[in-house]
Amino acid sequence: MSEGTRQQPQNPFGQPIKGVSLWTDAWRRLKKNRMAIGGLVLVTLYSLLSLLAPLLPIHSYKHQVLSHQYLPPSLTMSAGQLLCAREEERLLDAAKNSGRPSLNDEEKEELARFTQTIENETMVFDGRTVSIHRNRYLLGTDALGRDLLARIIYGGQVSIAIGLVGTLTAVLIGLIIGALAGYLGGTFDYISMRVVDVMYGLPYMLLVIIFMAIFGRNVINLFLCLALVSWLTLSRVVRGQIISLKNSEFVQAARVVGATTGRIVFRHLVPNTLGVVAVFTTLQIPSFILMESFLSYLGLGVQAPLASWGSLVRDGVDGMNNYPWMLFFPGLAMTVFLFSMNFLGDGLRDALDPQSKNRL
Amino acid sequence: MTKYIIRRFLGLIPTLFIIITLSFFIIRIAPGGPFSEERAIPKQVLDNIEKRYHLDESLLKQYGRYVLDVLRGDLGPSFRYKDYDVNHYIGISLPNSMVLGLISLTLAILLGIGTGLVSATRQNSTLDYLSMSVAVIGISIPLFVVGPVLMYVFAMKLNLLPTSGWIMSGDSWKTMLMPVLTLALPYFAYIARLSRASILEVLRSDYVRTARAKGLSESVIMIKHVLKGALLPVVSYLGPAFAHIVTGSIVVETIFRVPGLGRHFIQSALNRDYTLIMGTVIVYSAILLIMNFIVDIVYGFMDPRISYR
Repeated sequence: MSEGTRQQPQNPFGQPIKGVSLWTDAWRRLKKNRMAIGGLVLVTLYSLLSLLAPLLPIHSYKHQVLSHQYLPPSLTMSAGQLLCAREEERLLDAAKNSGRPSLNDEEKEELARFTQTIENETMVFDGRTVSIHRNRYLLGTDALGRDLLARIIYGGQVSIAIGLVGTLTAVLIGLIIGALAGYLGGTFDYISMRVVDVMYGLPYMLLVIIFMAIFGRNVINLFLCLALVSWLTLSRVVRGQIISLKNSEFVQAARVVGATTGRIVFRHLVPNTLGVVAVFTTLQIPSFILMESFLSYLGLGVQAPLASWGSLVRDGVDGMNNYPWMLFFPGLAMTVFLFSMNFLGDGLRDALDPQSKNRL
Repeated sequence: MTKYIIRRFLGLIPTLFIIITLSFFIIRIAPGGPFSEERAIPKQVLDNIEKRYHLDESLLKQYGRYVLDVLRGDLGPSFRYKDYDVNHYIGISLPNSMVLGLISLTLAILLGIGTGLVSATRQNSTLDYLSMSVAVIGISIPLFVVGPVLMYVFAMKLNLLPTSGWIMSGDSWKTMLMPVLTLALPYFAYIARLSRASILEVLRSDYVRTARAKGLSESVIMIKHVLKGALLPVVSYLGPAFAHIVTGSIVVETIFRVPGLGRHFIQSALNRDYTLIMGTVIVYSAILLIMNFIVDIVYGFMDPRISYR
């Protein structure tokens, strides 16, 4: 049958019916959900920021300028101006303590000298001479004089990357085990589902904490640990889906044609579970990031000079009484991201819900 | 029924055994030990210490000895804190953790179901949107951000509450308020969303329509028909909730300096304090398993579609 003679499906009134695939239908419904689209936009923005981090005009996340410790966030003033203001305040305080309302000439001269030094001081970074005090730190600096904005962006890069790669690994493991268990049944099904049962019963976060504390605290271990415990739910869900699909006509047809087990499972059955998998993935990423930052917060995850949102919050907590911005900005950055991810996941779940098919 | 309960209860024992075995070997295989310090200890001294704690025996023999001790109810001496045994430590810290966890969970369940009910009955109202936004924030914002922010605002800036500590008498609510709220928030949020969704579903079901058609009063329908059916997903969420409360309380206890079981968990793992970590893991796991067991049984009582064989 050539393309030209192929018959358009028609409804009883003779009008052509246009087939709507699962994904176009879902996308149409997702577009109507404003919160989900807002979430999608924010998530995209975050991903772009952390992907393009090396190209952005921000400071390095690990350059330490020790004289720039704990500078408060400022949109307008450069580091030098902040330092001068701080010095002036210090001198004024000292003057007030000795009973004078303003600075005397000697102190004014000291301030002028300080300003002069600040203006002329340079540092050599990567072979280039930079007048460091012209730097602006929009979100302030941390205990070692590192730019907080850069650390939040690079920390986001680490957190999002771990969340994404970890979730994909977990999805891959869960998908393969769930699909094979569902399709093959029998011993493989029995053993793998018993393993899942037992692992569900384990307080695995406790085991992960112990594991991280005892074996090296690094990104690879962290990622392995979390991926190994995150596939359980998905494997159960996929298994259920596969079991309900495996006796349908299209699978029998494939079997009659002589398709191998692998082909039936991965070409015919697995694509039909992708809706569930997509929802699971978007909801798993925030929980993965939460677990990662939880461990980093406990000091068991990403180690300095690398940062992740969790370790930034931890650094912030230590000095929050005097330097609250170190706690608020990383916390805010993280919360907004998780918030958008959750909204996106919810929206996707509603959009992909088969009961709402062809509904607006 | 009784038979099922007994069998299910006996099934907990192998799981606990797996947990003990797994954590024992994870801890022991790792490099470093409780007595390896930066300052070198004379070999003779080290040998004597190791002999005192049976660390010179083979791993399997130590494992056997440990399991027998646990069966006798003895969790051993702490390796790092001299003259301090694990049973004693658990005895003084567990009550604090239990109070913290149980109050938080009760609060989360009651408030969560209440919010879910209000939201579902007034679907798409301003109140509904408001409480569901709070719920999504509650799910998205991590414990370790909520805790310090609360502490910063209410203890450091407004001076309304003490920053940390834990007093279990008299004026105690002041020290308990922030830890309890911090720990309860995510579970409150989750339960509110869960119960809203399931109440909405039940409200659309045939048996509720029948009840309405019979002319039953709205409050009877809500309590006897809707809530009973809608609570099932909430009950089944309680199992995972207990597990999260346990890990959450480790953080909350650290932030607010609550003298609970979790406060020294990380440090004891870093110190390689073998018996103290093992003891904590065993207690936590036993609590979790028993809670899950209770949830299962309650679920069976509530859902007439489940029958025990």
